[in-house]
Amino acid sequence: MSAHDPHAGPRPVASWGVRRFTPSWRWLAEAMWWVEHAFGRAHADARPEEDTRVRIFVILSVFSAAFVCLTLGAVHAALLTAGAGGGGSSHPNAVVRADLVDRNGALLATNIVHYGLYIDPAQVWDRPAAAAQIRRALPRVSKTRLEAALYGDRRLLVVNRLTPREKVAIHNLALGGVSFEPEDVRVQPLGESARHVIGNVDTGGVGLSAAERAFNDEIRAAGARGENFQLSIDLRVQGVLENELAAAAEATQAKGAVGIITDVQTGEVLGMASWPASNSRNLAAAATYEMGSVFKTFTVAAAIDTGRADMNTLLDASEALQIGSRRITDFHAQNKVMTLEEVYLHSSNIGTSLLATQMGPRVMRDYFGRFGLLDEAPFEFPSENPITPRDWSDSTLASLSFGYGVSVTPLQVAAAMASLTNGGRYIPLTLRKGGLPNAPVRQVVTPETSRVMLDLLRRNVVRGSGGRAEAPGLRVGGKTGSANKSVNGRYSTAHAVGTFAAVFPADGPVNARRYQILVLIDEPQTYPRTGGFVAAPAVGRIADRIAGFLGVARRADPYRTALGDRIPAFEDLEGDGR
Amino acid sequence: MSPALAAVNRLYAWKIRGVRWIEIIGVLLVAAMVFSVYLAKAAAARESARISDLERQISDNGQRVRLLRAEVARLERPNRLEALSRGAGLGPVDVHRQATAESLPDLAPIPEPRPVIVAPTPAQPSAPAVEVER
Repeated sequence: MSAHDPHAGPRPVASWGVRRFTPSWRWLAEAMWWVEHAFGRAHADARPEEDTRVRIFVILSVFSAAFVCLTLGAVHAALLTAGAGGGGSSHPNAVVRADLVDRNGALLATNIVHYGLYIDPAQVWDRPAAAAQIRRALPRVSKTRLEAALYGDRRLLVVNRLTPREKVAIHNLALGGVSFEPEDVRVQPLGESARHVIGNVDTGGVGLSAAERAFNDEIRAAGARGENFQLSIDLRVQGVLENELAAAAEATQAKGAVGIITDVQTGEVLGMASWPASNSRNLAAAATYEMGSVFKTFTVAAAIDTGRADMNTLLDASEALQIGSRRITDFHAQNKVMTLEEVYLHSSNIGTSLLATQMGPRVMRDYFGRFGLLDEAPFEFPSENPITPRDWSDSTLASLSFGYGVSVTPLQVAAAMASLTNGGRYIPLTLRKGGLPNAPVRQVVTPETSRVMLDLLRRNVVRGSGGRAEAPGLRVGGKTGSANKSVNGRYSTAHAVGTFAAVFPADGPVNARRYQILVLIDEPQTYPRTGGFVAAPAVGRIADRIAGFLGVARRADPYRTALGDRIPAFEDLEGDGR
Repeated sequence: MSPALAAVNRLYAWKIRGVRWIEIIGVLLVAAMVFSVYLAKAAAARESARISDLERQISDNGQRVRLLRAEVARLERPNRLEALSRGAGLGPVDVHRQATAESLPDLAPIPEPRPVIVAPTPAQPSAPAVEVER
């Protein structure tokens, strides 16, 4: 072995020191040494050409492998992961909050890009002129904010929520230093119409009240999918309700008014109005009233449903009813023995008090509970809790039977009336189009009772106190309610609530399409103040105007012709409208 | 050496002025590929610029559509329509003036076809016997 023998050359390990390296490092060092000395080794072996070939081959292989990897990677990226590039995962029409539309797609609330107006004072030439021009183009801008921005030392927000039109007006002034930044704003193009149903949204896009709050998550999810969110409201019905309610409230110089229209078979709210609309409080949910005689409907229904009475049961209303020290009289005393039907049509307090005391507290409480009159109405908005009686004595039962001693929200009465006219099923009201999925439905009365009550309600419009609610050919049935309000602990005849709770059409099978209209007039100032005069005419006009939208055809029934002419066998018992 | 390998070797050794043909062909192919990739990339960039321009237009138009829809809803709000139509003297139609398509024949019976009166053809007027005097 010579000193030039590459196979026996000095190993690097010897010079670097064995002890300093772990075995893996030692292997690497040896490999590098072997590569570095490959040329010399090949020469020593007298095979120089082989050495070159080996090197070329090795480099070729390495590069080929690298390029094959790159090629595979490129092919994979180009062909197999289609759709990842370009477009983006969100929907092209996605918005933060979906447009709120009515059941037919009419717009209720939408997002519009508004603009914030910013001014950079360093770029403004003539500040007084700029201030004057901006104030002329945009009168609502605050003078102090504008001057603070113009004479400040940095770019400042002057006013936000500029509408696109206002933006153009400012932009056309061609002022230096004025710039705009887009901001997404929720707008309610209907103004005060349906405001109690739609509700408000904060600047961060979170619903604060009414439907915007109740369906907040679903509205945002629908917005991300680029879809609209539909409510059960029908804007045409809502519009008629609002206009007629406002007309009735103004005609009676009332303090407030409520109107609710629902589909009794699905629980969908088609219209809900609270007057005055400028009041942000929704009286349909956030106010309770003693409803008066409307409750006679529920008392009579309970009596019929328990089998205690039928239409021909006789009740002695010939003299006032004495319960303890309390004397119950009738508003229009008939002073005779009456059938149950007459009790209802004459709206006799004595008759319903007799029924209630006969049924007793357990039955009355059971039925009123099932009608949902004793608990907060299940609904998408939070609503006021009813004021229910503390004791269930005979005197209380008598009061309850004609709608005193219990204060309920109009929503509760609307749901209870619906349950009485749809075959006896209590369906929670909802603003969701198509009704609540998996709604907890409970049977309140039997379908037979429901059928009897529908006929009784209709007779009350034809022959009883609800005559002014008649709409030609639409078979309106309903019950008036007139209550005095308790002022400072005493019932005041000067403060009244007039109500009319109606359904139409009242004929046909119990599961036929049917709509419930409730109109409540709070503190009417015109005389007479009874529900039959202040609320019933509005109900008639509303039914007349919305029937076409709802597809209810005018038809004759046993009491009236399709054009509303009387069939002589049936005449008004009296026209007092109580 | 097998004949196939010999053919490959011969092809490999085919040269012009000391440069292998196979290398010249390879360089040309690579140049063609580079150029085509360049063309494809340039076209793709142009397309994607166009796409983003169209998308911007779509989004602008979408905004305008939203704005116009809101404007329509504002103009068609029920209380405004009612006030306008009351102002124009319009109101709900009285029930006695409403009819369905089926009741039309009762309201206005289809008139009997009137007998066709054939106008008597006037006799050809004879030329007036006017003597033109000169």
